[in-house]
Amino acid sequence: MSSAIYPATDLGAPPRWWRSRTLARFMRNRLAVVGVVMITLMVLACAFGPSLLPYDELFIDLRARFAPPLTGYHIFGTDPLGRDIAARLFNAGRISLMVGFFAMLMSTALGTLIGIIAGYRGGLLGSVLMRVVDAFLSFPSIFLLLALAAFIKPSPFMITVIIALTSWMEVARIVNAEISSLRERDFVLAARSLGYRSSTIMIKELLPNAIGPIIVAATLTVARAILLEAYVSFLGYGIQPPLPSWGNMLNGAQQYLDKAPWLAIVPGVAITLAVSSFNFIGDGLRDALDARSDGN
Amino acid sequence: MLHYLLNRLGQSLILLLLVSMIGFAVLNLAPGGPLSQFALTPGMTREAMDRIAHQMGLDRPLPIQYLDWIWRLLQGDWGKSYRDQQPVLQIIGSHLFATLLLMGTSMVISISLGTWIGIRSATKRHSLFDYSTSVAAMVALSIPTFWFGMVAIYVFALKLKWLPAGSMYTIGNASISDYAIHLIMPSLVLALVDIAVWSRYMRSSTLDVINQDFIRTARAKGLTERTVLMKHVVRNAMIPMITLAGLQLPTILGGALVTETVFTWPGMGRLFLDSLGYHDYPVVMGLLMFSAILVLAGSLVADIVVTIVDPRVRLG
Amino acid sequence: MTDRPSNILTRPTRRQALSLVALGASGVILSGLPRLGEARAAGAKTISGQLTVAFSQEPTVFNPHMPHIEVDDGVHFALFDSLFSVDPEGKFVPGLASEVPTVENGGISADGLKWKVKLREGVKWHDGKPFTADDVKATLELLVDANFRSWRKTGHDLVRDLTVVSPTEITWRMDKPFAPYPSILASTFITPKHLLSASADPNNAPFNNAPVGTGPFKWVERVAGDHIMLSGNPDYYGDGPYIDKLIFKYVPDLNVMYTQFKTGDIDVVGLQWITPDHYDEAKGLDGKVVNVVPGSTVESFTFNMERPQFKDPAVRQALYAAIDKQSIIDALYYGLPTPTESYMPQQSFYFNPDLPKHEYDLAKSKDLLAKAGWKPGADGILAKDGVRLAFTCSTTAGNHIREQVQQYIQQSFKDLGIEMTISNLPPAVMWGDYWMLSKFDSVIVGLDFLTGSDPDTSDYFRSTSSGAKGGSGQNNWQYANPEVDALLDKGGALFVPEERKAVYVKIQEIMRKDLPFLPLFQYATVRGHKQGIDNVSPNVNVRIDTWNIATWRRA
Repeated sequence: MSSAIYPATDLGAPPRWWRSRTLARFMRNRLAVVGVVMITLMVLACAFGPSLLPYDELFIDLRARFAPPLTGYHIFGTDPLGRDIAARLFNAGRISLMVGFFAMLMSTALGTLIGIIAGYRGGLLGSVLMRVVDAFLSFPSIFLLLALAAFIKPSPFMITVIIALTSWMEVARIVNAEISSLRERDFVLAARSLGYRSSTIMIKELLPNAIGPIIVAATLTVARAILLEAYVSFLGYGIQPPLPSWGNMLNGAQQYLDKAPWLAIVPGVAITLAVSSFNFIGDGLRDALDARSDGN
Repeated sequence: MLHYLLNRLGQSLILLLLVSMIGFAVLNLAPGGPLSQFALTPGMTREAMDRIAHQMGLDRPLPIQYLDWIWRLLQGDWGKSYRDQQPVLQIIGSHLFATLLLMGTSMVISISLGTWIGIRSATKRHSLFDYSTSVAAMVALSIPTFWFGMVAIYVFALKLKWLPAGSMYTIGNASISDYAIHLIMPSLVLALVDIAVWSRYMRSSTLDVINQDFIRTARAKGLTERTVLMKHVVRNAMIPMITLAGLQLPTILGGALVTETVFTWPGMGRLFLDSLGYHDYPVVMGLLMFSAILVLAGSLVADIVVTIVDPRVRLG
Repeated sequence: MTDRPSNILTRPTRRQALSLVALGASGVILSGLPRLGEARAAGAKTISGQLTVAFSQEPTVFNPHMPHIEVDDGVHFALFDSLFSVDPEGKFVPGLASEVPTVENGGISADGLKWKVKLREGVKWHDGKPFTADDVKATLELLVDANFRSWRKTGHDLVRDLTVVSPTEITWRMDKPFAPYPSILASTFITPKHLLSASADPNNAPFNNAPVGTGPFKWVERVAGDHIMLSGNPDYYGDGPYIDKLIFKYVPDLNVMYTQFKTGDIDVVGLQWITPDHYDEAKGLDGKVVNVVPGSTVESFTFNMERPQFKDPAVRQALYAAIDKQSIIDALYYGLPTPTESYMPQQSFYFNPDLPKHEYDLAKSKDLLAKAGWKPGADGILAKDGVRLAFTCSTTAGNHIREQVQQYIQQSFKDLGIEMTISNLPPAVMWGDYWMLSKFDSVIVGLDFLTGSDPDTSDYFRSTSSGAKGGSGQNNWQYANPEVDALLDKGGALFVPEERKAVYVKIQEIMRKDLPFLPLFQYATVRGHKQGIDNVSPNVNVRIDTWNIATWRRA
């Protein structure tokens, strides 16, 4: 959705110019700012929250099971093993946010690599690579993700990897479109005739032009990855207990929906807040990077 | 046109081949197998399991199994389920109705509501309606579908007791109104994300059209604002939406999988999860191929429809 | 097995099924049994009405000789008959056989080798063809057919010289005495020769999806993923049926199943029944009969005995003492299951009630480990001779209550300096090679150890039965004890229940001492049906509640 937006001007030069104006445009988008604030708060809460709470996220107390929120020091209540949900929520946040962040890094790297090769080389290799992208896109990603998750040992690292493996196609398309439109331009031909190596041309000359859309896509990928982790863990194929993640805190919550609805509500709200924030930021970035939106 | 279609078809076939290879490799390289479900049956022995695996041809090398499978597929034989020996196509067929009913209802809801919201936001740009629906759409895109379903069940089924918590119909009382009551919650939950997608795309598409010359011309001709809107703006803004409908298919299928799970809806999504859990490879592969075909056909049909609706677009 | 996902998502997939428990004797020498069929055939039966039984797993296998699970059995009981079946007291009652063969009535020779079975006359298959001894012969032959995906050959592979003496009499010889065989026959449904053996490929016979039996109900239709419908068989030779339309409804979510039971959409709640957390509410429901019924499955914490950590008996004992069994049962399972020390169900005639009782005692654990020379290493984890007391514990991913049990145990172990890592796997992976070839460190599993209603456990305990060592059985803990091997040999060749009992009591004593698995509890499940449906009663000797579905009737 964002591939065609970024203006391909100032080719070849590192696009420094956008920073201040982009920033200004970004700051004008109130939702995006709210997103940044919320993410900052969540990161802080997850980083320092656990050490401020009186309970350990793994401490089991069967006598205190199913305590509703605001029972004693259990601000969000307890789970079926009597563990403090607040402590679990913040620790789960560390895992879920990390999975989201690293899945974004991996998928962006992979997507950029594939996109740049396909775009720069073109020809047979290019079209084969892009057909692979299409093939991945024609699976509903949750099908593919589950098929993969069913067959690996579900550690946070592996979950991150498979989420990345099902999320790189968007970036690949964006980069491919950008690069193939540039590859016959003068400055590339010039660089080539000067004897620069292909890899140098790709990374130094071509890639910077696609950086804007990549950043937007990457931000949205974080949101998507957090959601995907939640889906897979909810379905039981994701992060395994006792390690908490927002998704696996919801796994099993449906069973207790009648008796202990907070088991479902608390982590669900956390996921929605985090994902919305990243989506707000992504949206803000897109508008900010789009010079046309200046007039609005 | 014909050349274009043939080209697209060829590309689609290559795509399907790739899909089948990826799927088959992922499924079969994994540990475990379709017989594991019988391991805890009293009296089951390793010897018996090995023997049955051999009889089913599960101990053959993977490439041979793949070639065997694809060769049969090319002859129209999708294989049989390991669980109940039924032909895969028949199994998919028997779950298709439930999924199509759910997806169809949800698409009708999301397209009509999404289009309406999109047009209204575009024509009343920067209004309170525009802002609040934009924010709502963003949040809707961020809510995990299954969680939204759970909250809906909690509120409407467990607390208010207005709607059933799951299933497609009541046993022994499967009337149309009964189906309809069961359909309300899952289809709305599934529609939520798509309403958001549709309204946002429709908004930007309408904005693109609204500022174009021919609209100004239409207005200049003295047509009423309503006529301009309905006859020119909406019609033209809808065209990109057709392509989008094709592209949205995988998302809706995926969403249906999760929604069916939460609402115990007897459709293809749940069939997929069940079959995956049992390692019923023929069915899982069948579903992967089927959904890939559906998706490819969806985008092809969308492209063709666009050429029909919009004389400016020509394929090829 | 129930460790498969009925729906892998939200439901506890505990293994709770009943299976065959020998309550009384192995039955071979019982006589003077009530003749079910003859005794009740008197009054004219009225076949009417509809009855809905719900299962949380979908029955998909209708050829009773192919690999299948409990819910499939549930349908088989309605469609088929065996030669004789087992009642709740563990006694055999005649089915297609006109009397249960015993040593006393000359049906079995004194050495247990020669068998003669007389069959009921005038029985017809659902398609109208007469049932004869040829069908019995074809069934027993099919079970050992090399081209057929037979789910169980054990016992049947000892049968020789099958001879049809007359349409109502069949004889055979056993290759060696095999005491569990009557129990196996009791769960072997007879299938029609003219539909199965005539088929070129019995694995793909049309019969497999349109079964024809002699049982109380006839096949009508199956709507995949939804329900199976059967209709009452007016020509049934025994008591019943009294129901015209019998529906097996697949309800994958236990919460939904319970809700539909409450609203009356479901008449009988089948496997996996009502979840323990609903028991309190369920027993107060108007117009419903709700009971806690013991099952024969025993939940255990199972070791891989070849792992160096577990070779030391002191470790196994210490771990046992560190498990807070009672809290697990009371809090996590709502007090329903019964704590146990044996793999043998407590209702069994062979159960040993005198085993030492488990005590939750962390101090004792600590002491045991210290005495055995386990000392904390630099990381705080106990170690001895370079072996850290650290291991993984696996079970079916998505089994929520078990996952809670694991986490609870994990905490106790951690306090002792033992590192248990939870590593749960999807069912198709968990119970594949990982389980069958002993690739695990430890596993929490619910197992039914008995062969039919017989106490023989050779496939589980014999040293040559470990898959990882090339064996053919399911001794996945790789347990090896020559004394147990000898006892199993002895028990398998004895036919008098009282003599056999001494052997199996001893085996239970040894297993309690050696602890290749820590017995946690015997399952109990919450069953429910509508008031006014008669004869819905449990039978610990079979795997599923529909064992007597012929006699179910609305009052």
